[in-house]
This record gives sequence, C-alpha cells and structure tokens, in this order.
Amino acid sequence: MDAAKKRMNPWLKKILFGIIILSIAGAGAIWYIFNEKFSDTNEIKPDYTVNALDLIHEFEKNDSLSNRKYGEKIMVVNGLVTQVEGADTTVNIKMADTTSGSYVIFAFQPQHRYEAKKIKEGELVSIKGSCSGGAYSQILETEFITFKRCALNK
Amino acid sequence: MKKSILVIALVAATGAMFAQKKTTTSGTVNFDATTSLDQLPKAENKTVIVAIDPKKGSVAFEVVMKNFTFGNPRIQEHFNGPRWLDSEKFPTATFKGNITNLAAIDFKKDGTYDADVAGDLTIHGVTKPVKTTGKIVVAGKALSANADFSIKLEDYGVDGPQIAAGKISKEPKITVAADLQ
Repeated sequence: MDAAKKRMNPWLKKILFGIIILSIAGAGAIWYIFNEKFSDTNEIKPDYTVNALDLIHEFEKNDSLSNRKYGEKIMVVNGLVTQVEGADTTVNIKMADTTSGSYVIFAFQPQHRYEAKKIKEGELVSIKGSCSGGAYSQILETEFITFKRCALNK
Repeated sequence: MKKSILVIALVAATGAMFAQKKTTTSGTVNFDATTSLDQLPKAENKTVIVAIDPKKGSVAFEVVMKNFTFGNPRIQEHFNGPRWLDSEKFPTATFKGNITNLAAIDFKKDGTYDADVAGDLTIHGVTKPVKTTGKIVVAGKALSANADFSIKLEDYGVDGPQIAAGKISKEPKITVAADLQ
C-alpha cells in the first residue's frame, strides 16, 4: 500500500482531491436547493408601502404597468378590511373598493394564518405580503389583485 | 288573500335566492405534480374566483398563476418561468363549463350531490375540454363544491427535461374546492 502511495503521480493526487472537493460542494448545493424555504415575510424589508384603495385604482388604470411595477415585490398594504372570507381551513382578508367592486386579497403564510383569523371586518389593518399581480376577472367583471405569503405587518 | 300574496312572495323570494349565482374569491386549487423522484412540485392557490349558477348549471373559475405557493422558492420560480407555465405571458388559468346532470341536484334541499361537470380548461394559453365528477354540498343558502381531475401537461404545450426525466409528473392532479355564498 505504501509503495502504491509513493508511486501515485502528484498530479493525479491533485485531480482526485479536486474531484472530491467539487463533489462535496455539488452535494451541498443540491441539498441547499432542495431544502430552501421562503423567508418569513415579516423579516423582509418591503419594497413599497401603499394604501389599498390607491393600489386598486392604480391597477384599474393600467394593470400591465402595475404588474411590472409590483409583481413579486414585498409590499405593505394599509386599508380597511371589507371581508374575511373562508379559504379551506383558513381565511383570506379582502380590502375592496365598494364603488367598483375591485379588490385586493391576501392569502397568509402558514405560520401567520392564526393572525388572519383574528382580523375582523371593518378593522384598519396593515398587511405585508408578496404581490402576485392584478388581473381583470371575467367572472366578477372587476379588477382583482392577489397577494401570497402574507403576515400582519409588525 | 293577504296570506296568499305573502306566501307567493316568500316562495318567489326563496326561488330567486337559490337561483342567483354563487361566488367566492377564496376558492382553493391544489396542484400536485410530485413523482417518486421528486416530492417538491406541489402547490396551492387560495385566492381562486369560483362561480356556480344553480339555475343555468354553469361553473367557472379563474386562477392567478403567480399566486400558487410552493414550499420551495426554486420550484416556484421554475413553475412560473418561460420553460414551464410562463406566467408572465399567461397570467391566468380559467375553466368555463356546465353541470351536465343538473336535474339530479336539488339546490333547494340540503344534501350532498354528485355533479358531472364538462367544460373548457385554459392553461398556458391552450384550451382543452375537461370532464369530471365532483361533489356539491347544499347547506341552507351556502354551497360547497369540490372536484379533482388530471391533465396531461403536453396537451397544454408544457414540457421540458425535468418532465422527461420523471421529476415532474406528466399528468399532475388538480383539486378544486370552494365554499360559495
């Protein structure tokens, strides 16, 4: 065995060592990608802070432009809760323009769903979430803006 | 005479109440494309607009693709990316159909009914016919509905090496559930 080690080309040794290091780094990267999770929204600094009605009106005016501006951004939205709507085993919070029927809706991050259940209609709240964008609903004939991974803004 | 008018008015009001379209903006769609090789590609969307018209038997839903939430950020990015659902170009998925056995469902009587639904599902800009049997639960003024079905991704122009390699199911299961008022 010792004789074999002595005979091993130093370049071959370096190549083998490099392969081992690369394999460990690759395995680590794959492990990281597969186990990566979304951060708690409350720990992320928001890109925008807006009033719900202003946001609705901005989307009503031009939703393509608004989607480019707000899509996938972390935002704080302040407004009056017009509906607490059951969504499977949890609830979504809605802030609507009662004149046009257009609305913004917030689906909460699993660890913050208990917060949504405490919110009441008519309350003024501040919600932070990831904006998925807005669209015109053919069913409701109104503009709607959806948010995911939301939390009560603290 | 007055009593008769009152009864007729009540019956008409009750009929109108049950005939009106039921909607929710918090329907749920679950998307499950997991395989034995990969358990990550599954997501839920809890802000789905769903409507059922008991009188006409029409059923419709609208889903914002970017509001599907995955546990893993990388998978969510791939899901919305140009090689998969291309949510930038095709921001919504829609279904428009009808209950084909409407006579078998009594929307005025509490109970659980099988509902045969057929219609057109549009995903990734491609529209294909879909048929399934779901459940409708009538409880007073409220309705709840659920159905599940599978789609072939290649029918909707969605393919790629991860699908070919078996990491993403070629026929993901889609579950739709809604409580409508």
